[in-house]
Amino acid sequence: MDFTYVGKDFQRPDALEKAQGKSIYIDDIRLPGMLHAEILRPEYAHAKIISIDTRAAEACEGVVAVVTGANCPYSYGDNIRDLIPMAVTKVRYIGEPVAAVIAESRYQAVEAMKKIIVKYKPLPVYVDALEAMKPGATLIQEQNGEIWHLPHIHPVPGTNIAGHYVLRKGDFEKALAEADYVVEGEFDYPFGSSAAIETHGAIVWFQNDGKIDCWSSSICPFIIREDLANTYGVPISDVRVRIPEIGGCFGYKSDITIEQTVAWIASHARGRPVKWIASRKADLESTLIGHGIRTRMKIAARRDGIFLGLQTRSYLSTGAYADTGINISHGATHNSTGPYVFDNCDLQGYSVYTNTPPVGAYRGYGHQEALFATERIVDMLARKMGIDPFVLREKNYMRPGSINALGEKMYMANGSVMDCARKVREAIFRGGKPTEDERYFYGRGFAAVMKSPKGAPNQTKGCYLKLNKDGSATVTIGGAEVGQGLRTVVQQICGEALKIPPHKVRVNFEIDTLYSPYEWQTIGSMFTTMGGRAILRAADRVIAILKKNASYALRCDEDFLEYDGQWLYVKSDPDCRVAVRDVAQGYMLEDGRTVGELAQATSDARLPRYSGFDQNGQGGAGVSYTFGAQGCELRIEKSTGKVTIDHFASSFDVGKVISPRQIRGQVAGGVLMAIGATLYEKLEIGADGKIANPHFGKYHLPTASEAPGRQTIEFVENPDVVGPFGSRGIGEHPVLGVAPAILNAIHDAIGIEFTDIPVTPARILDALKNREMRK
Amino acid sequence: MSERINFRLNGRDVSVEIDRAKMLLEILREDLEMTGTKCGCDNGVCGSCVVVVDGRAVKSCLHPSKKLEGAEVLTIEGLSLNSIHPIQKALVDAGAVQCGYCTPGIVMELHALFASNPGADDAEIMKALDRHLCRCTGYETIIEGAKAARMQLSMAGKH
Repeated sequence: MDFTYVGKDFQRPDALEKAQGKSIYIDDIRLPGMLHAEILRPEYAHAKIISIDTRAAEACEGVVAVVTGANCPYSYGDNIRDLIPMAVTKVRYIGEPVAAVIAESRYQAVEAMKKIIVKYKPLPVYVDALEAMKPGATLIQEQNGEIWHLPHIHPVPGTNIAGHYVLRKGDFEKALAEADYVVEGEFDYPFGSSAAIETHGAIVWFQNDGKIDCWSSSICPFIIREDLANTYGVPISDVRVRIPEIGGCFGYKSDITIEQTVAWIASHARGRPVKWIASRKADLESTLIGHGIRTRMKIAARRDGIFLGLQTRSYLSTGAYADTGINISHGATHNSTGPYVFDNCDLQGYSVYTNTPPVGAYRGYGHQEALFATERIVDMLARKMGIDPFVLREKNYMRPGSINALGEKMYMANGSVMDCARKVREAIFRGGKPTEDERYFYGRGFAAVMKSPKGAPNQTKGCYLKLNKDGSATVTIGGAEVGQGLRTVVQQICGEALKIPPHKVRVNFEIDTLYSPYEWQTIGSMFTTMGGRAILRAADRVIAILKKNASYALRCDEDFLEYDGQWLYVKSDPDCRVAVRDVAQGYMLEDGRTVGELAQATSDARLPRYSGFDQNGQGGAGVSYTFGAQGCELRIEKSTGKVTIDHFASSFDVGKVISPRQIRGQVAGGVLMAIGATLYEKLEIGADGKIANPHFGKYHLPTASEAPGRQTIEFVENPDVVGPFGSRGIGEHPVLGVAPAILNAIHDAIGIEFTDIPVTPARILDALKNREMRK
Repeated sequence: MSERINFRLNGRDVSVEIDRAKMLLEILREDLEMTGTKCGCDNGVCGSCVVVVDGRAVKSCLHPSKKLEGAEVLTIEGLSLNSIHPIQKALVDAGAVQCGYCTPGIVMELHALFASNPGADDAEIMKALDRHLCRCTGYETIIEGAKAARMQLSMAGKH
């Protein structure tokens, strides 16, 4: 199929404003009478609150109110209703809101906050799932099991286990008995942060007439709207949420993070807007963190290399509240097969309450943590069997007709992991690798990946489309632009569908729940697929209206008419035609009477046949898959242990590339983000639950000179059947195989089997020293 | 203990009364309501707040008000009032703008670099960009944009 606008590069509609500093982000918003809040965090990660003395703070200059959680009756959460706006009787993690000051200025709020005196009685602290789930551990959520939760979630009352997910396919024990080779290992993907350069922030304004206005740096305005309406007992229509430009998301600005807390605070200063912007420390300690998944894995294979079975135990240290982490654990569990067929699976995932900040979405949503284990263990198995790891993988890749762990059948429309793997192999492994020299060891590594969307069965994205009489179009969507380039994609898809150039498609920047169509959340790399499909549906309806209007003009049945972007004409007689401008707003007859409809439409789209889990933990919970492969060439400096990525290659079967330059940007950025997790980034949470590095000085994000020397980024285009023009999502995928590819390459270079990250120069030097001593 | 500070901002004299010691970033964003300069980490690591002070790229979150008297300050607003600066154009054309939060700081960094060293070599460009964090792009397009800006500026300089 030939495309006019899809598959070509266009300038982002928001790029210039952003480069000129004219775009408005949450902290740039100024409102009349706006107040500022500062939030007090505890000294302990788990403690009873004995008393809070706010008198001195209340007496400070500029203070409007001091807020505690003492009388806060609210709880919320879409999966498990265990979240609360502010600590009530105890604190459960080091960043939990304990009290807040509202003042005329941020500075006054900060100064007054220092005067709040809180007395605590410390409780035992658990920072690791394996400790917290031991029998007899002090309960972090005393009501665990009694708290409202969705039916597919299985908490274990009397323990800290917030959810236990069990997936059974075939008979793993039997597979184990029949296996010629078994390899097992434990792999740890520690806590990290999405760490967008813009921190979280929100403004909440309780209006005097009872309406609630909210602005937030969030990607789920419609969830916030429904949640606040539910909490404060007002109609959903009385809550208005607006989303300005977002300075990066990568997961942790999804779900409700700070909005309920800011709302609780602002409810004590009714009539005036209250703003809270996270400091970097608060962003790292009190918003959603990522990962925290330990994976124990056992793989069983036959002598000929066929995988017989997989056993996974995935332990998520989900933090003090499990609502935002629970589905990540499910994703990490059922996707732990990677892109391979296993007839026998025994996969279990535990989400365990810990005295750490709540874990939430982080680009990849459980996949990269699971695939870290899978793609390391497959390499280990290949070495044990003495088989080329590419050959071993190729024997087991999912292909059309394969059944995955969830019981879903794969089709050609899911794409080809084999094609991606071959491209990466060609890029990285074609020649020989450099031999060890005086200064460096050299290594090459590979990983194959699979991604399911991990959304919800009822997730929907809407679209409002107007065709204007000059042939330009106005599209309003609820999808959040976080930098990924969604607005350009909207312009291209809409332009292609309406046969008009993308620059004639105007797309909304701000999302406003009062005017924008409903969108559940912009997550799971699903905007292009579902939002794009909604746009196509709207465009079809608009074209149908144009034809209907044209039928009055041309005195001809609609189904004889054709549309080319400028004209509606009779198929059999193209000279018999009417211009779009004359039928975009109905059709005016010779006597001035007007008939027909406005050329505008509403539409929506969701993934077909998305479902919950059955009694075996199976079901249509993956639905739409994307496959890919990644690999790298690296060198390790002998004197320092420093790893340099010379060349990183990625290939994904995205069905159809919509914007070549943007998709390359997504992959290049995602790869470096995951290089950060693999080599540098880790939130250092001590046994007392305190975070030792809550700032960029010690939580090191990769810089320009740490980017790979070269990135090969190639795509495979086996068309999808759901996404517009055959396309699939790509937002999260680039991070998925990076850690195992690098660690496999490190093993190739120095023969050391790292099973946790980050692999820092100090750890490499230590390992090399130990290796020398063993010799 | 309020204090008046006089300096030049984007070519105009400004006079700000502050009631306590502040960093330049806060003066720009809160006292002068110029929000083009961004705050990312507030401790001098991320570079989102970079502005040009007396020709040098400066992290405004660590630049104290007491060093401001008489200084010549250029911010992203000063580059963007009525025109598109070649550095901005080059970054946009290279696809270097994703979420855009780090972009104004990078534009100002490159402006200071090329103003003082029009022929900055690739290593000097990398050194300047290493003072900035971008979480979106992987830097590939930013480096490309910076090099394109260098070329366009040098061509413009020759004319």
